[in-house]
Amino acid sequence: MTGRKIRVLLLSACVLLTACRGAQKEEQKTSIRIGISLYRGDDTFINNIRGVLEEKAKEYERESGIKVILDIQEAKGSQNTQNNQVERFISLGCDVLCINPVDRMDASVVIDRAMTAGVPVVFFNRQPVEEDMNRWEQLYYIGVDARETAVLQGQMLVELYQEQPEAVDLNGDGVVNYVMLEGETSHQDSLIRTEWSVQTLKDGGVPIERITGGIANWERSQASALMEQWLSAYGDAIELVLSNNDDMALGAIDALERAGNTKVNVVGIDGTTPGLEAIESGRLLGTVSANKELYASAIMELAASCALGEEPPEAYPLTDGIYYWTPQEILIRDIGR
Amino acid sequence: MIGKRGKLLVLLYAALLAVLFLMCSTELIIREPEKEIYQIAVIIEDAKDDNYSSFRKGMDQAAMEYNADVRFITLYEKMDAAQQMELLGREQQDGADALIVAPVDEDRVKEALDGKQVTVPVVLLGTEQAEEEVKRAVITDYRKMGARLAEQMQKRLPEGCPVLIFSDQENRSAMSRYFLEGAEAVLLDGGHKCSIAVREKELGYRGALEELRASGQGGAVLAESPEILAETAGLLADDPPYAGYVQGLYGRGSTLPILNDLDRGLISGVCVTDEFSAGYYSVFMAVQALEDSGRQTPVVMDSYYIEKQDLRKPEYEKMLFPIE
Repeated sequence: MTGRKIRVLLLSACVLLTACRGAQKEEQKTSIRIGISLYRGDDTFINNIRGVLEEKAKEYERESGIKVILDIQEAKGSQNTQNNQVERFISLGCDVLCINPVDRMDASVVIDRAMTAGVPVVFFNRQPVEEDMNRWEQLYYIGVDARETAVLQGQMLVELYQEQPEAVDLNGDGVVNYVMLEGETSHQDSLIRTEWSVQTLKDGGVPIERITGGIANWERSQASALMEQWLSAYGDAIELVLSNNDDMALGAIDALERAGNTKVNVVGIDGTTPGLEAIESGRLLGTVSANKELYASAIMELAASCALGEEPPEAYPLTDGIYYWTPQEILIRDIGR
Repeated sequence: MIGKRGKLLVLLYAALLAVLFLMCSTELIIREPEKEIYQIAVIIEDAKDDNYSSFRKGMDQAAMEYNADVRFITLYEKMDAAQQMELLGREQQDGADALIVAPVDEDRVKEALDGKQVTVPVVLLGTEQAEEEVKRAVITDYRKMGARLAEQMQKRLPEGCPVLIFSDQENRSAMSRYFLEGAEAVLLDGGHKCSIAVREKELGYRGALEELRASGQGGAVLAESPEILAETAGLLADDPPYAGYVQGLYGRGSTLPILNDLDRGLISGVCVTDEFSAGYYSVFMAVQALEDSGRQTPVVMDSYYIEKQDLRKPEYEKMLFPIE
C-alpha cells in the first residue's frame, strides 16, 4: 500500500469517527435522573423546599417533555450516610446530584465521588467552603445570602421602632432587652445571622441590650426548653426574641404561651409554612422569607441544564459562575401601622 | 548468562502471564456473579407523597435488600385516573420490570391488566377487589377500618351524639369512600345522627365548625382522609373556642402532623395501618413476581385504633415511627 493510500484511509477513518461522535452528541435525552440528599427530613424549611421542588420537577416535565426522576433521600444528620447516598445515586446512574450538605466543612467526599463519576453537583441551603467549591467547574450552590437575611431581620425591627417605639420597647424604659436563639455551633449561617441582625439594630439606633442567648440547633423543641428556662430566670424583663430561624421562634412562642405571656415580640427567619401561619394568627411578629418558588426553580433548572450538558439557565444569574442567591423579603404582622 | 532455551522459557512465561491477565480482566476465568437490578415504578393516586412517608421507608428498605431500583411517582393532579393510566404505559415503555400502583380507578387498572396493555407484573395497593381476584396486592380493608373506628367512637361518645363527617367529595379517593361507608354504617346502627359537611372554597371546614358552635349542642367530627384530619386539627388549634363544641375529632392516618396533633390532644383517636410493612411487602412482592418464586397471595394489612396514650407503647411506637 502506498503512503498516499494510507493517508486517505486514515483521513476517512477520522471523518467517520467524528461523524459518529457528532451523531451521538445530537442524541437528545428523553429523561433525566436527579439524586437529592437532604441533611435532615424534619427541618421545616427544607421540607418546604422539597415540596416546591417536587412541584417544579413536574412542571419541568410537562413543559419540556423530558421525564424527570427524583430520588430523594434524608441523611438524618449524618455526613457518612449522605456520602453513602451519593455513592448509591451515582451507581443508579443519576445525571446530576442536588446535595443539602450535612457538614458544610466536609463536602469533599461528595465532591470527590461526583468528580470521579463526572456527575455535576448542585449544593443548596448549606454552603460548602469556597476551597471545595473551586475544585471543579461542575459545582454550583443555591441559597440565600446569610448577611442579607440578618440585615433584613434587623431592618424589620428598626423600621417598627422608628414608627412605633412602644411596640418594641414594651416597658418604655428606653432599652429593648432581648434574648437570642442561635442555630448550630460554628455554623456559618448561624454566626452571620446572629452578628448582623444585632449589628443592624444597633446601626439603626434601636437601644438594645442582650439578656442571654443559647444554641437550639434550629429545633423547635430545644428552643422551647431554653425559652422556658429564660422565662423563669428573667420573667418580664424579656421584650424581644431574636431567632435564627422560624422553627426556633415557634418554640419560643410555645414556651411564652405556656407561661401565659403573649406580649413579647418574636422574630424568625425562613418564612416556613408554620411561620407564616403564626404571623397570620398574630403569634409571630415577623420573618425573613426566601422566595421558595424561585429557590426551588433555580435548583430544578440548574440541575436539568447540568444533566443535559447545557449552559446554566440565564434566568438565574450565577455569581462567579457558581453561586445563585435567592431574593428575600420581610414579612411582618400587621400591627396597625 | 541465560541460554537460548532459557530466554524462550522466560518469553513463554511472560506470554502466559499476559494471557492469564487478559483472561482475568475480561472475566473469562473469574466471573463475578451478575446481580440484576430490578427497575420498579411506584405510581400513587395522589399528587403529593405526604401520606406515604412511612410507606416509602419500608419501600426503600426492601429496595436495598432485594436489589431494586424504585422510582416513586406522584400524579400531576390528585385523583387523575387518565394520567395514572398514561404513567402506567410510560413506565412500562421506559423499561420498568414491575409496577406498584395505588389505583385512582380500580376498574380501569383492572381492565388494563386483563386487556394485556400492561404486561409487566403489577402489585396493587389499598385495593378493595376481592382477594381471589388479584394475585399480587397489599390490601387494606378500609370498610373494616372505618367500622373499627366507629365502634371505638361509640364507646367514647355520649349516646345519640351527632357526628359531623368532613368530606371532600370532589377529590375523594376510593379509600376514603370505603372508610366512610364502614364508619357510617356502624354509627347509624348505634343511633348517631351523621351529617356530611363538604369543604367550602374560601372557608374550608371553618363554616361547618361555626354551624356546630351556633347549634349550641356540639358533636363529634369524623374526617374522611388524613389531609382533612390534619386540616381540622389545625383549625381547632388556631381557634380553641371550637374545641368546646367538638366532642371528639376522629379519622385515619399516621403522618407525623397527625401523630403530633394526637399527642397534643387535638385529635381524639385514629385508625392506622402498618405503612412501613405495606411499603416493604409491595416491593418484596414485585421482586418475587420477577423471580417467579412460588405462588403469590395478596397481603392483607390489619388496622389498629390508637389514642394519645398508645403513641409510646412499644408495639405501636415501632410501627408509627419506623427507622430505616
